[in-house]
Amino acid sequence: MKFQKRRANTKQEIPTTSMPDIVFMLLMFFMVVTTLREVDVLVQFKLPEAQAIEKIENKRLVSYIWVGKDKRIQIDDSIVKLDEIENIMYAKRQALPNIIVSLRIDQGTDMGMVTDIQQALRKAYCLRVNYSATLKI
Amino acid sequence: MLKKKQIREAEIPTASQADLAFLLLLFFLVSTVIDVDTGLGLTLPEYVPPEEQVMVKVDPERMAAVLVNEQGDVLIDGEIVSLFQIKNMIKPRIMSKVDLPLSKKLIVSLKTDRKTVYNQYIAALDQIKLAFFEARDEVSQSRFGRKFKDLTTEQQEVIKDAVPIIISLAEPEQVK
Repeated sequence: MKFQKRRANTKQEIPTTSMPDIVFMLLMFFMVVTTLREVDVLVQFKLPEAQAIEKIENKRLVSYIWVGKDKRIQIDDSIVKLDEIENIMYAKRQALPNIIVSLRIDQGTDMGMVTDIQQALRKAYCLRVNYSATLKI
Repeated sequence: MLKKKQIREAEIPTASQADLAFLLLLFFLVSTVIDVDTGLGLTLPEYVPPEEQVMVKVDPERMAAVLVNEQGDVLIDGEIVSLFQIKNMIKPRIMSKVDLPLSKKLIVSLKTDRKTVYNQYIAALDQIKLAFFEARDEVSQSRFGRKFKDLTTEQQEVIKDAVPIIISLAEPEQVK
């Protein structure tokens, strides 16, 4: 008597025809989520650390001001002078009334500088600021 | 002789479609920056020109004046403390004013020298914010039995009313 091995007749293959669809779905997700970096940061800075930090919910409202180790100030793509900030930020606020200004300031900067920037922001009516900081562990 | 036209099947090879999609996917995976901006939020006071500024007397009981000088020494209401004590100094004062009306809540005023290092200022601001956040957590724990961030929006509003974050940046003095 012959013993036959019992084997299922079905093929053991994973159907791959729908794989491109799945990959495209993932692709779409990442395409939507991606915001390509619009500006080159020209200044060098190291952010301070803090514990009580919050997330900025709405990225579209955010506008950045960088202050580097060498005390240069950058807004958007260019290095600006201190007394130019007011006009630039005022124009920005006109375009976007509830703007949030994210201050990415190097941790070794003098407060005099920061105060001057804040005064400029107050004159430009950009009152919502966020001191960018990384989480202290 | 007439040749019958051959109908050839026109097909685009789809075998490599997945590979192409993967390539694109990899590109977007690599270029995506999902990290959100984190930092200490603050609302600046409106700008008032110096000649229009009015002095408003505030009950000293309401005020906690935090001064940070250029060496990083901290003074709270005339008392020298270390930077990391600020939270513990301020929190009890916030907690003692939870049940008082809004006009009696604690105002924390933060003032620095022009030569103070930014890092120190952020550390001080961080301590003050931590004090407020911990006070909020404690109040919500006692009222709703949950932490502040787990509450519903309405409940959060209640707590925000009980413990509003009032941080005042002192008007910079004219440099002589």
